[in-house]
This record gives sequence, C-alpha cells and structure tokens, in this order.
Amino acid sequence: METMRVKPGPQELQAQVMAAGQCTACGMCAGLCPYIRFAGDRVRIVYSCGLEDGNCYRSCPRTPHDLQDLDVQVFGAPREDHLLGTHRDIYYARAARAVRPAAAQYGGVTTALINFAFEQGLIDGALLVGGSLEQPLPRLATTPAGVNNCAGSKYLAVPSLANMLTARRTGLTRPAVVGRPCQVTAVRRLQGLENNHQAAPGPAPNLVIGLFCFWALEAAFSAFLTSRTRSRVTKMDITPAEVIVDTTGGPLSLSLDEVRPFIKPACHTCFDPTAELADVAVGSTEAIPGWNTLVVRSARGEELVQEARTARVLEIKPYGAERLPLLREAAWRKKKRVLEALAGRPEPYLRLPVDYQLAIAGEEVMRDEYYARSS
Amino acid sequence: MNTMRVVLDAPGQVALLTGNEAVARGALEAGVNYAAAYPGSPTAEVLECIAAGAEMLGVYVEWSVNEKVAMEGAAAASFAGLRSLTVMKCDGLNVALDFLTSLSMAGTRGGMVIIVGDDPSAHSSAKEEDSRYLGRVAHIPVWEPADSREAKEMVKAAFDLSEDIRQPVMIRMVTRVCHASTNAVLGEFPRREVNACLGPEDKFITWIEGHREQEDKLRRAAHRAEKSPFNTYAGPESPETLVIAAGPGSYYAEEAVAQLGLQTSVGVLKLGTTWPLPEKLLRRYLRPALKVIFVEEVEPFIEDNVMALAAQHLDEIGRTSFYGKKSGHVAGINGVGLGELTPSQIMAALANVCGPDPAHERPAPPGWPELAGRDLAFCPGCPHRASFWAIRAALELDGRQGIVLGDIGCYTLGKGRTGYYLLQTMHAMGSGVGIASGLGQLWRFGFSQPAVAVVGDSTFYHAVVPALINARYNQANFVCIILDNQTTAMTGHQPHPGTGIDPNGNPLTAIPLEAVVSGLDIPVTTVDPYQVDEAIQAVYQAVQGPGVKVIIMRRACALIAAKTSAAVRVYVDQSRCRGDACGCARFCSRVFACPANIWDKAQGKARIDEAICNRCGVCASLCPVGAIVVEQYQEKVG
Repeated sequence: METMRVKPGPQELQAQVMAAGQCTACGMCAGLCPYIRFAGDRVRIVYSCGLEDGNCYRSCPRTPHDLQDLDVQVFGAPREDHLLGTHRDIYYARAARAVRPAAAQYGGVTTALINFAFEQGLIDGALLVGGSLEQPLPRLATTPAGVNNCAGSKYLAVPSLANMLTARRTGLTRPAVVGRPCQVTAVRRLQGLENNHQAAPGPAPNLVIGLFCFWALEAAFSAFLTSRTRSRVTKMDITPAEVIVDTTGGPLSLSLDEVRPFIKPACHTCFDPTAELADVAVGSTEAIPGWNTLVVRSARGEELVQEARTARVLEIKPYGAERLPLLREAAWRKKKRVLEALAGRPEPYLRLPVDYQLAIAGEEVMRDEYYARSS
Repeated sequence: MNTMRVVLDAPGQVALLTGNEAVARGALEAGVNYAAAYPGSPTAEVLECIAAGAEMLGVYVEWSVNEKVAMEGAAAASFAGLRSLTVMKCDGLNVALDFLTSLSMAGTRGGMVIIVGDDPSAHSSAKEEDSRYLGRVAHIPVWEPADSREAKEMVKAAFDLSEDIRQPVMIRMVTRVCHASTNAVLGEFPRREVNACLGPEDKFITWIEGHREQEDKLRRAAHRAEKSPFNTYAGPESPETLVIAAGPGSYYAEEAVAQLGLQTSVGVLKLGTTWPLPEKLLRRYLRPALKVIFVEEVEPFIEDNVMALAAQHLDEIGRTSFYGKKSGHVAGINGVGLGELTPSQIMAALANVCGPDPAHERPAPPGWPELAGRDLAFCPGCPHRASFWAIRAALELDGRQGIVLGDIGCYTLGKGRTGYYLLQTMHAMGSGVGIASGLGQLWRFGFSQPAVAVVGDSTFYHAVVPALINARYNQANFVCIILDNQTTAMTGHQPHPGTGIDPNGNPLTAIPLEAVVSGLDIPVTTVDPYQVDEAIQAVYQAVQGPGVKVIIMRRACALIAAKTSAAVRVYVDQSRCRGDACGCARFCSRVFACPANIWDKAQGKARIDEAICNRCGVCASLCPVGAIVVEQYQEKVG
C-alpha cells in the first residue's frame, strides 16, 4: 500500500500523533531520544532536535505501518487467526504458589515468567510499571525483588518504554519488556529498524510479554480515584460489569460509566486488544479467580513457557472451550469498531492488506471462522 | 581578594590593594565597629575583608538578609555612638532607599559610611544604574574615589564628615576602582574603648522638620568640600579648556591631556566630592575656561549640576561651551551615556573638542585582537542548567505555554541559550514572585497559562518571603521554584540564613527554606535537579491545579561541589558515541550546552573537556546511548 510520502520525523510525530490525540503513552520515542520526555501519561517533544527524520517516528505504534509486515517480521508469516493474532497455544495458567507475589494480578504469570527468564539468563533487565496504583511509574527491574515490586496490573497508561534510555545507559543488552499491545508494537517496530540495518540506537528488547488491554486510563484517573477514597489502593480489577478497587479501607466499586471518561482517546483506535505481536500475551480469564489467560505466540515464547512448566514455575491447564468464543467475540467487536473509526481518516496509522480487512468486516465472517475452527 | 594585606598591622608599609580591599582597610583604620552588607558585585569583597580583621579589631561583621536591614543595623550602631559601615551595590541602594531617605531626615550620631558599588557597562549586573542621584535624593554627601589609595583615605575622611554633620556619607565606587589595584600606605589601627549606649536625648525621628536640617547639613558639607583634598586641579592657572572629571575618568583625562600635548591650555579638575559640589572651587576654574568637558560614568550627574551652577552664575562665569553627554562629545563604550569610559574615548573627545589642530590628532590605538565569541553560560556542572532543562521539559509537557519569571542571580542567565531561553521577565530581586503573584490572579480575565517564578536561595530570604505571603493569602496560582545552591553564588559564595555560618565561617543556626515555606502554609517539595526526570515530574505535577506551591531544587553550587568531591571522572566513551549517526543531533554539546560538553571535530564524536568539567554527571544521564561515563575513583583526589 503506497500512500503519500512524508518525511518520517519528529514534526510529523508531533502533528500526526501527539497533537492528534493518538499518542498511547507507550514511551518508545522518549526511550530513544533526549528531546522527548514524559510526565504522567503525557509524552511530548520538549525541545526541537532540528532533524527531519528520526526513529521516534519510525518506531511509534501510531505512525503508518503495515500489520502484515510486522506479522511476517515477528512470526515469519501472515496471521491465520485474524481475531487473536498469530498464536501456538492458549491456556489458563498460573504461577506456582512459591513464586507468586501477593500483589500479583490473577495468577501472577507475568511476574513468574519474567523472574524465570532472569534465572535462566535469558534477560538482564525488565521494563515494567511499578509505583502505586494511584501513581504508577516506569520501572527498570534488574533483580527478582525489583520485578516483584511491580506485580499487579496498573490500568493507567504509563510510558514505561521511556526506560529504554536507562537500560541502554546502564549497559543492559537483553532487557525484556512487559507492556500493553501498543508497547509491544513499538518494540517490534524498533526491532524492524535493526533488521533493516537502519540506525537503531542500541539493542532492542528480546523478550516481549504483552498484556491484554482493551483500553488504558489517563493519568487524571488517579486524581479521580483519590477523590473517591482516602485509603491507599492495594489492587484494582476491571470486569465487564464494574471496576473493583481494593483499598486499605475496604473495597470500592466504580461503575464503568464513571471510569469510561478517563479512557485515553488513542485507545479508541487500537486494533490490538491481546498483544498480538508479543512472544506471549497474558490477560485475565474473567472466569476463574487466581488464573490468567496465557496466549503463546512465538517460538521464543513457547520455549519459555515449556521450560517454566518443566521447572514447575508455571501451572497450565487447557483454555475453557466455552470461554474462547467470548474472548474472540470481544476482540472482534473492538477490531470492527476500530476499523470503522479509522475508515473515515485520510491516512490511518494502520495499514491492512485486503484479506486482513475482510476478515473483520462482517459478523458472518467471524462466525464462519469460529465454527470452522471449533468443528 | 587578599585579606592578609587588609589586616596587616604594619603602619607606613606600602601595600598593593584593590579598591574593595582599600575600602575595608580604610574602615578598619577609621575604627569601624559595625559592618553589615548584602553581597553585590562589584563591592561584595569589602565585607569579607573587614571580616578578616573582625576578631583582631573587635568589629561586628554581618551578612544581612538584605541591604535595607544591613543599613538599619548600621544606623543602629551609629545611634549608639559607634562607627558603622554598610556596603551594597547600586540595586541594593534602591532596596535600602526608603530607609535612607528617612534616616537622613532624622540624622545619625557615630560616623556612618555607605559604600555603593556601581557597575558601568554592567559587567556583573543587570543594569548600570548611577547611584549618585539617590544620594542626592537622600540629601547625603556623595564622594567618588579614582583609585584604591584615594578610596582608603576617603573612607576615613567620610567617617569624620559623617560625625561632623551627623549624616551618613556615601562613597560611590565603580567596578574599575573596586577591582583594580594601586599602592596605598597602610595606616594605624586605632585602639580605643567604645561603649555603645543611647542617652535619653538621643532621638532619631523622621519628621518634616528634618528637611531643614538636611539642607543645613548639606551646606556644611559643601563648605568642607571647598577644602577637600579629594578635589584636585592640575593645569594652567587660567585654562582655556577645563576638564571636570570624577572617578577613574580623571586619570584618563590627565593621560589624554599629556598624550595630546595640551598641558598649556587644558586643565583637569578632579572632583572627589561629587555632591554637594564645591561651588567656589568650580567657579574659580569655570571663569577663565571657554570650553568645559565632563568626564564621568555613567550619567551626566556632575555635568547637569555644574551647568546649573554656571547658569546661576552666568554673569560671573560668562559665555562657556559645555561638552559631555548632553552634547554627545563624551561617549562610553556603548554610546553616549552608556557603558564605561575608556582612555581612548576620552582622548578622542578631547581631540575633537580642542581640534582641529593636527597636533591633537593621534593615530588610532591598535584595536583588540579578534576574540572568539562566547556565550554567557552557566558554569560547567551548574545545577541551574539541569533545573532549567527540567522546567522547560515540564512546561512543554504541560503544553499551555507556561511562563517563567526570573530575577537577579546566576539564574538570570536563564534568559539565554544556557537556560533554554526560558525567562520571560527579569527585574529586581524577588520580583519574579511578585509578578507571578499577579499573573496568578489573572484567571478571572482568561489567563490560563501556568506561571513559574525561579528565585535563588539567598534571594528567597532577601525579597521573596513577602511576595509569597501575598500570594498565599490572596490565593494566587503559580509555582515558585527555589534554585537552592546553598550559597550566594553569583557574588562569590557568601553565606545566607539557610547556610548556618557567619562571614568568618563560624556556626549559626540555619533557617531551613522548608521551615519558612511550611510556616507560610504553602506546600513544598524538594528535589535534586541532577535527577532530571524526577525534577521534571515535580514541576509538571506542581503546575497542575490551583494555589501557590514551592519546589526547592537543591544541589550545591558546582564550583563548591567540585572542590570537595573529586573522586569522579566523567568522559565520553567514543566507541559508544554514535556521533552524527545518532539521532541526538549533538544533544550534549549543542543543546544541553554545558561548556564542558564539546564536539571532537577530528573524531566526529562528542568529548568532555575534562579541564573544566565539574563532574556533575548530568549529561551522562541525558545521553541517549549512554556514551558518557561517570567513573568513580577509589581514592579521593586532593
């Protein structure tokens, strides 16, 4: 798909992404560049570098890119499953009790996998989100204790890839990333620059654990939360029905209507709720407390999961047959909405080959595909 | 600054003294008992020199919180019969002026001398204000020394005059006199018992009747000025052309007369007692002269007053042509009435006025060699650079066109490249906070930009507290950032109430900034500007939401830190620096622009000038590829 040529640079990043409300606060550009900083979930160019092109633009998940190219780059082939993306397996999973931190969300799979990867020497650092639920912050963990401090979902958009700078400065060569789907895309785009031998500033992360994310919240949600409770927030969970906030003063239930105004606008045009380009993707089950959904996508992801099972770090059981259509339908509904939203735009960031588009276009397609697979 | 020479007890010995040292020496020889000042260039060193002799000679020496308080303290000593000195720069005299104009109506008792440093060309100031006018407004005598030797003698004589007329006497120093050294003969230190006390009749009350006394006292001072040794004349008995000069310009004038061979026709009357004028003396030389040339820095103070005198005595003086700033004949280096005078400009003026005799024309003196242009810049490692970067980043992140308000201090440089062009206002000490207090009320007129006032730590104590009280009480919205480098850096690291030491380094109990701000019921957070990301977050958070807030950016002045923490080396690992292939576009040397971050043309890579690097390591935390290495040494370097 050849479209209008633009110089891939900071001015376009500013115009097409930041000023257009399309920034997802992944933090990648801030992780590459001293001219781009962040505060809360705001990422902005704070001084003009004077250059006409830059990796800030090329690695942004919201500047034009072709999804099939990324599929091929990451998995070696275009996707077959247009609703959940390329994957090898899908399970229920949880961390073994001994390695599950108290703060872990659901089954603590992410924390356990990252710590296991540390032990195996597969990674030498991890870009995570820590801090409190009220004020989550990017964290660069280099020890299991550091990883455990970041356990638990934060739900706020945190530009944690900004810590790429710190990782590079401190000499890390094999950092892992745990991130939202947009952050996974950013990492894959950066890896693509390396593959193309373009000037990429140092090694890109080589293990990417994606988190299911139908939307993330703006930093302003923190103020709303603290206006609703004086107690410290210890855990938060978003179910299809409500937002449950555990605090030191007891649980608090927020309706989705209360929370929805804080959704980052960019999330409304996100095509990827299940981190389709990650090595493994982790989410809730919405059915079985204490367990995660684990989608194994890449060979590297599969290897890690198998080794973690062998080492009795991870427990796994088959994904519920009754849950799969629900997950698929949720993904499909979001993708359909997004395609419709993007259709009216002169140059949408997401470029999809025709078959990718058609796969989402109608409900029948989704149903047919589902019945074909499950029969 | 050589305090040893200032306190050397060797009467008769000749010593090379700067003007500042000479003033201190003169005060000590005059038996000064009480000296108080707020540091300001070019006279900041005077108090430090007096402090060196404080213990030996029993002088109370104080760095005061501001010039007004310094002058009030000195006045108190005078009221109690002691000799007192107060020192400030011209801006400081503005601060103290309210008190001074009252003081001179009520009068003084013990000798009181006010040293004011003017800075023609504003070498280390924001303005080149001519303080002589303020002395005139306050109805006090103003004297001007031409060099150190004269400065020392003038200070002693000023104490005598002050006690004679019971008024403070002001001595106007200019930067050249303060900093240049000339020989002076050391005098004795007096050994006299003093007993401070105010008798029941010692009353000092500003009241309108005092005005009559002010005028009487000035007349007495003018009478004494007629015989003053500080007014000298050199030249023919009846000069055709009279140069009236004051300060260092009088030497330039003498030199120009000699160089141009005008000794037979041109006389130079050097005035040391600039106000009130020695009118009879002036009339004596104005009478024969057909042309009069004025040589003074910066404004036409003497020129105006002498021309008024000539007009008043027109019948006696007759027709005379006046050349100076009014006529445009005498220009400073930046234009007429602008900047310092130089010998060559006085030469040119004299040749011009006394021309067109070719003998008066001289070949132009050789010009200065071309010097490389140099930005005004924060010192290497200066914490202000990191602070300004953080403020800039936070305001860009905020995206509402935040306004940064500055004032006087090292951080004034924030108006330029070194501070990322952040400052939009810069006036007097503490004014940024008062202006922010005003901007912080303009939301009712649609003003929606965040306002950030930056102040120094010393400035905070000097002039910020009332503005903060005003802002807090009247519910203004803005952020005050105290750039706390834990000293009065710009004038040479003098202590202030936050430092916990006196002028001699003896311990006092500090008043922490946090305690003062908290006491005003204003929320305060403290960050280390070297932790740039944390500083950005702090500023960003603070500009959200209403109210007045204070952020203290605390990090010792790099020039102090560099002396104490040498066990670190900062260098560029050029194998990691990607040069122009990096997308950073030479961020360290071009944008962050610490003078120690330089570009290695030969290698096409960044480099650190380790000779000037103060090893703060902030650039290492900003380099996108981690090419700048902060290496800890095992051993401390001396």
